[in-house]
Amino acid sequence: MKSSAILLLAAMGVLTTQVQAAQELPDKQAPLPSVPKNPDQTYLTPRPLSAIPEGAFGDKVRMGYQLFVNTQQLRDKYVGNELNCANCHMDAGRKANASPVWGAYFAYPAYRKKDDKVNTFQERIQGCFNYSMNGKAPAAGSPELVALSAYAYWLGMSGLMDAANLDGPVPELSDAELVKGAKREDFPLPDTLAKAMTVEQRANLPGRGYPEIPKPELAFSPERGKAVYTAHCQACHGADGQGQAMAGVYSLPPLWGPMSYNWGAGMHRVNTAAFFIYENMPFAKSIQLTNQQAWDVAAYINSHERPQDPRNKGDVKQAQEKYHNDNDYYGVEVDGKVLGTGSYPVFPKKS
Amino acid sequence: MNIKIRTLAKGITLIYGCVLTSVVMANTSALPPAGQICVTCHGVEGEGIEPLGPRLAGLSKEYITTQLQHFQAGVRQNATMMPMAMTLQGDGIDQVASYFSAKSPKTEVKPVIRGEQVTFSDDTARLAYQGDWSRGLPACVTCHGPSGLGGGLFPRLAGQQASYIKTQLLAWQAGTRKGDVDGMMANVANKLTAAEVDALANYFANLK
Repeated sequence: MKSSAILLLAAMGVLTTQVQAAQELPDKQAPLPSVPKNPDQTYLTPRPLSAIPEGAFGDKVRMGYQLFVNTQQLRDKYVGNELNCANCHMDAGRKANASPVWGAYFAYPAYRKKDDKVNTFQERIQGCFNYSMNGKAPAAGSPELVALSAYAYWLGMSGLMDAANLDGPVPELSDAELVKGAKREDFPLPDTLAKAMTVEQRANLPGRGYPEIPKPELAFSPERGKAVYTAHCQACHGADGQGQAMAGVYSLPPLWGPMSYNWGAGMHRVNTAAFFIYENMPFAKSIQLTNQQAWDVAAYINSHERPQDPRNKGDVKQAQEKYHNDNDYYGVEVDGKVLGTGSYPVFPKKS
Repeated sequence: MNIKIRTLAKGITLIYGCVLTSVVMANTSALPPAGQICVTCHGVEGEGIEPLGPRLAGLSKEYITTQLQHFQAGVRQNATMMPMAMTLQGDGIDQVASYFSAKSPKTEVKPVIRGEQVTFSDDTARLAYQGDWSRGLPACVTCHGPSGLGGGLFPRLAGQQASYIKTQLLAWQAGTRKGDVDGMMANVANKLTAAEVDALANYFANLK
């Protein structure tokens, strides 16, 4: 990010100047607003990976896919835990209602009222590295962020083009265009697509994010959640929540502890985790958990220690007040211990 | 007791010929008495004898234990294995599971990590590595590990006999094999076509 000023054209055409101090983390993992699932909905379908074109642009898209499913290749460089992007974004970021990256791509840049900031798509991915991956984000414009942006763009654009019966390859964009995201009036689009949907409609593609589920009938409870976890989750994620590695790869990921997402990640919020779990777990959905079970087990998983919130400047209470709300356990006493006070290190080195 | 086991091991070595001698000598843990019944079909080294019994070498202790319990409980149905499993009383299951899980598979398979390859000309390899989520089918390697090497409750598929993998997928479909948490494996198997069952069995059996 350096200290250079970044000019962004906000959606309404207002010129916003944003100066980012290098020591400040670029993003909180603000969720895109969730909407309830519509059972009759059809979803954008990206083209198969075999349709990615040859050449330099296609290479960026392919690299994005590879980083997405094997994020561990960035371990110790930008990644500080055992997770891969594809753990939470099912089907390598393609599956509707599993926070598909094609949905997110068209929803950024996003204006955030809270701190009067516009977050670009790459800033949002930087947030993923800092929090979900408990690492250190690659610099703006780095090959990794360009590749991940190119992958998200190509998936989304290929799906929109197919839906509009537009043949031909996905238009190639410059790196500078790619990393901004597509929610802007000046985003380059084929005419047919530009006329078919408004910027706002493209930013709210069905299947984006994790679908919202109703609040539970009973207040969510880690105690009840433990029973749900034992019955439905621990075969894959382990009784201790530490996941399972095979040939060194944790495709069954750790859910808490030192090698999982940190206290700043979106998934540490009970509501976000409940939405994810209800829609996507158990893996491949052989059964459907109840609404109550999803909330309870999300509370159980997220009431364990994990790596520290990187925004904590030494005081859990202060960080809790500034960054945490009533949908999470940071700063809350569980089993006689205040969560956050015994947190694991941020971005520990494996080697 | 030790002498008896050594004598037994030597006897088995003689029966199975000189090829195995070096292997048995190299493995310090001896076949437990409870495991004598296993080797006729699974081999002394758990290498499997097709079509009598699948390979056990390369399977985890946790998996072998669970499956023997499933045979005993009738959750997993097999005319041969159900009575065999019943012979394992006391710490019999623990003994044979320890013995066979300590054996190394005959074929060494180099793990291929997900993402190394982006596109696949072979539909079966693509199914194994990327699944087909349009049908709710996840990638096999998500639970069975890179190259299907397995671990924990998830059996190794790499180098397993094709005929056995096929029989098992069909058993999941028929409901004669159960015991998976929440029917996770049955859910996957039921979405596979007959051709995919054949192709996946051959794919994993022949991984190098």
